[in-house]
Amino acid sequence: MTRAPAAWAGLCLLAVAWSLTHADASRSSGKGSKWWGVIHLADDTSKAEDPTLSNDLRSNRMRGAYPGYPLDPISSLRKKQRRLARENQGVIGAVARGTRAAVTECQHQFRNRRWNCPTQERMRGRRLFGRIVNIACRETAFLYAMTSASVTHHVSRACAEGSVRSCSCGYSGRQPSGPDWQWGGCSDNIQFGYRFSRRFVDASERGRDMRYMMNIHNNEAGRRAVSGQMQRQCKCHGMSGSCTVKTCWMRLPTLREVGDNLKAEFDGATHVRVPNTIQNSRRSRRRRRRYNFQLQPLKPHHKPPTRNDLVYYEDSPDFCTKNQRLGFGGTVGRLCNDTSSGVDGCELMCCGRGYHTQVKEVLEHCECTFKWCCDVKCKVCRTRKVEHRCL
Amino acid sequence: MAGAVIENLSGRKLACLCSVLLVALLVCFLLGGLVAPEPSSSQNILGTICLDHEREPDRWFQVWSVIGSEKMCDKADKVDDLMDTGISSEQVVFAFQMPLRRGAVLDFTRWQQNLIGVLQLDIDHDSQYEMVPNATLALDVRLGYKNKEDKTEDWTLLAASVEERHLICDLDSEQSYRYNCDLIPLFELGSLHHDYYLLNLRLPPNMENQRNVGIGKLVDINLVAIFQNGGFTKVWVSLKTIFFPLVVVLLVWFWRRVQALQREPALIECMLFSLGICLSVLNLPLEFLTLRFDMPYMLLITDIRQGVFYAVLLSFWLVFAGEHLMVSEDCDRNRLAAYWKHLSAVACGCISLFIFDMCERGVQLTNPFYSIWGTRVGTNLALSFIIMAGVSASLYFCFLSWMIWRVFCNINVKRHSLPAMSSVRRLHYEGIIYRFKFLMLATLTCAAMTVIGFILGQVAEGQWKWDDEISLNYTSAILTGVYGMWNVYTMAVICLYAPSHKRWPTAAAAGGVAQLDSQSEEIEFSRLAPANDEPSDLTSLTQFVRKAATD
Repeated sequence: MTRAPAAWAGLCLLAVAWSLTHADASRSSGKGSKWWGVIHLADDTSKAEDPTLSNDLRSNRMRGAYPGYPLDPISSLRKKQRRLARENQGVIGAVARGTRAAVTECQHQFRNRRWNCPTQERMRGRRLFGRIVNIACRETAFLYAMTSASVTHHVSRACAEGSVRSCSCGYSGRQPSGPDWQWGGCSDNIQFGYRFSRRFVDASERGRDMRYMMNIHNNEAGRRAVSGQMQRQCKCHGMSGSCTVKTCWMRLPTLREVGDNLKAEFDGATHVRVPNTIQNSRRSRRRRRRYNFQLQPLKPHHKPPTRNDLVYYEDSPDFCTKNQRLGFGGTVGRLCNDTSSGVDGCELMCCGRGYHTQVKEVLEHCECTFKWCCDVKCKVCRTRKVEHRCL
Repeated sequence: MAGAVIENLSGRKLACLCSVLLVALLVCFLLGGLVAPEPSSSQNILGTICLDHEREPDRWFQVWSVIGSEKMCDKADKVDDLMDTGISSEQVVFAFQMPLRRGAVLDFTRWQQNLIGVLQLDIDHDSQYEMVPNATLALDVRLGYKNKEDKTEDWTLLAASVEERHLICDLDSEQSYRYNCDLIPLFELGSLHHDYYLLNLRLPPNMENQRNVGIGKLVDINLVAIFQNGGFTKVWVSLKTIFFPLVVVLLVWFWRRVQALQREPALIECMLFSLGICLSVLNLPLEFLTLRFDMPYMLLITDIRQGVFYAVLLSFWLVFAGEHLMVSEDCDRNRLAAYWKHLSAVACGCISLFIFDMCERGVQLTNPFYSIWGTRVGTNLALSFIIMAGVSASLYFCFLSWMIWRVFCNINVKRHSLPAMSSVRRLHYEGIIYRFKFLMLATLTCAAMTVIGFILGQVAEGQWKWDDEISLNYTSAILTGVYGMWNVYTMAVICLYAPSHKRWPTAAAAGGVAQLDSQSEEIEFSRLAPANDEPSDLTSLTQFVRKAATD
């Protein structure tokens, strides 16, 4: 009888120790998303041309730009990212706008799921979406891909606006020179967005563990979702307007299309296997080989993931109950669809807890007429709505 | 009596000449592929929404300062931000500044030759703001320019206009988020004379004539600015500068030979001479002048120069085939009038293309925003001209193929009678037929290579790659290759069809030809006795055909 408590104590100690090390590991694993903190950067790039990007954070006048936010958003950037932002003036505003758009898009895509992409306004960087990013699950994969895609999209757009000064002629880190441009023109804005995003977003990933590879892979998948949906457009301007000379360019997809695409990738994401020995074999490789790895699916008969696929290696929580640690509020009070049998159906959404139904009369805008540009005239309609909310 | 050079040239010399020309052609191709950049570049410029609070139609709204620190316009991020703010659409100005700044503020160079602007509208699909089918846009546009050395702060007006364009959009599916709208050609500048350009665009709605009404939820306007690459112009102009004196020297040599003859120049010689002149005009590096002077008519001139060259080349083929048509009774073939039926097809096609070009690029000299495709009448007119040109072209090719087919038929018929002739005669005829066929083959190869090259160019371009490290620039290579090919072809034809000054047997005996192969040369130089008597103005092939016909 005296041995049993000792054994229990030993077991408990072991468990605590294990959980501590585990917690440590998971804390480091979400580090890559720290740059999401730039979301709090005030969107005043249109007025102020050059945001302060000095390494001396204390002198930064950006502080307090976002009310209630304790720290300078720039501080969430790595040294390399800060250097990139300094070299490409005006780009950090586009990154911030891109991150904001990614949040909106994520919330749109997941509006009908239990996990509906909640954000915590006052959280820093990696905590933007809560600690869900510490779990290497599908949702995390989507978040990484979506933010990476959105940065690509917005930097390309900012290039086309001329608000990023250095969208270079063939991004190779050097400033474009006049003679180069006069000789062969400049490369595409989208190409710059892609390459910048690759350098900037992936710069936050360190180490060579499984999580690193998952993040790098999903970031790349996000960028490919943008580049893969571009439309090619051409204009003929040869002799008498004939097609002997033709110039083509790429058109950006809308971010919604990119989001749809990534959501489809989310649904078909690949569960990959965690190999036993990654560290030793990879560490010696040079930086060029950064993207040169192939992840293997967990189930051997599945196809290995392509560059466009999202990958994950941990299972998602069920997201039924409130989880303060993950920053998820649970599905209590969420709207659901009583006729659907999908994830937005009341059965799945409420995790079997049931729901209550309410009939509401709401006032809505309807029969709007729109006159370009800025004139919308709508009628106000009174409609009856049936709402189901999870208990 | 003198024949054409081609008949008096030994096989070895012909091979030498051909290989030299082929090397020249290869050099042209590689020059385009390895040295020159893409023929043209584009910059996709997203319109900045500027707000005209004071309603000043004559003010310039610029996005960033070019020189010094001029005022920048008051920007709005999105059209959505302007909803219900009391801003009217007359106050919304889309500003496009060209070129986009990259690091330093870039400026256009005159080597970039021309500037084409195309609009691309991003219209969101929103069930609340449905689009009206066949909406018409009225674009209130002002284009201004500025130079580095300008003393004045403000932009100078280059052109201003209110242009109508049709908005043709469709949806891929009901679920798509954005309409697929056709590109809208906005302007074409024949000369890129200034450093910076600024375009201000307004879309004021007009309820009375339904302009800019029902265009849906327009969120962004992109301007795609297309210009020729400076590097390509440099390579192109140097090609021209090299070819021009060569062709001129060759032409002088050719004409002096023709003049040295006892007879009047033959029709085919006249055609050759005019072909050479047209090629020289095409080769004339007028582009150098654009570096100094503002020449907005350069696009038109280039079109006309090319058009005239191709017209003369097409006519030359007709006459060339006709001259070898071996119908003995057609004694008046030596006049251009004999070909009026065939040539009228060429003329008709070229004139309709010329009128079309004048309607489009000619009017653009006064108003760069003008487009014949803007109005329904104009579209129909343009289409009818193009269809007419197409019909003429097909008619022409029917004529030409029919004539060539007849030539080959006749040659085959005559060939059957060859075994009955003496061996010297036979070898002579066979040589001539072979070389005629050789030139026909060269022509066909050139034409086929041009067509295949352009088709391949379109196909190869269709693949978009990110990290494309292909060192050969295919599009430029095709353009310079084709240009070089027609130059080389014309030079070869002028060389080979120039009247020969060799006289048999004295010429062969006098040297100039290696003594070793004199045997074969003798055979080649042999002439038919009757042909030697009359001062013929035809090449000996036609003489032979005539002779054979009388036999």
